[in-house]
Amino acid sequence: MRNAEINYKNIYYPPGGILMWILIFLELITFGVALIVLVVNSNEDLELFHQSRLALNTTFGALNTVFLLTSGFFMATTVHQFKQSNNQKASFYLNLTMLGGIFFLILKGVEYYLKINTGYTLGYNSFFTFYWLLTGFHVIHVLVGLVILLFMQNGIKRSIAKLEDVEASAAFWHMCDLIWLLLFPVLYLIL
Amino acid sequence: MKKKDIYTLGILILLTIATALFSNNSSTFKYITFIILGLSITKFLLVVFNFMELKKANSFWKIIVVSYLVIFSTILLIVNN
Repeated sequence: MRNAEINYKNIYYPPGGILMWILIFLELITFGVALIVLVVNSNEDLELFHQSRLALNTTFGALNTVFLLTSGFFMATTVHQFKQSNNQKASFYLNLTMLGGIFFLILKGVEYYLKINTGYTLGYNSFFTFYWLLTGFHVIHVLVGLVILLFMQNGIKRSIAKLEDVEASAAFWHMCDLIWLLLFPVLYLIL
Repeated sequence: MKKKDIYTLGILILLTIATALFSNNSSTFKYITFIILGLSITKFLLVVFNFMELKKANSFWKIIVVSYLVIFSTILLIVNN
């Protein structure tokens, strides 16, 4: 067991580490403010934003949510297995975690390709400016998360990864879920 | 693999399907924004408390997450006509 030494009840040691949680809150505030600005802007031309929102594929959005949530589940399982000192199982579940992220990126790529082909580019209208910037910024987070998980995979395989590092990587990956859980309803469903 | 995490994933997927269904029938429901936002916040909390294990953390972190969600959703509902 690797988790005996961390006291999570201590205010300075939330699972994932205090610095990661500060980053998570900063990211959530940034995306939250951007989404509120999007909704405020939509009030100026409700019909344009509503029609543009309808041009998005809700099924793609919902499927991507499932990919990220399933990936998050495998990430939680990875941490659990790592705490039990089952490095082999942890490595296996980490691969499944990354697979979920890759599926997300593939579907997002298809969605972007279809949007570009239809002409819904960054400058098409205000809604699509928000759409491209918000989802694009989120995609960058997923890409960075995948790179972090790749390094973590290497660390677990070579048995040099520490619990704090695995938890911090997991927290970053879950943050991508959280951001998407805010983006999906506002961009794809509410307007 | 924890049983609790499997149940959480099942609930999360069901909530995602429910959200998409509610959205596709938005004309039928009067308070659709409220419903969709409520379901999304529930998913958010399930991820934070179960997958990220924040339930083990100091109450400060739990309070700050819930406060963020309350502030974000309240502002969103106010500005969304």
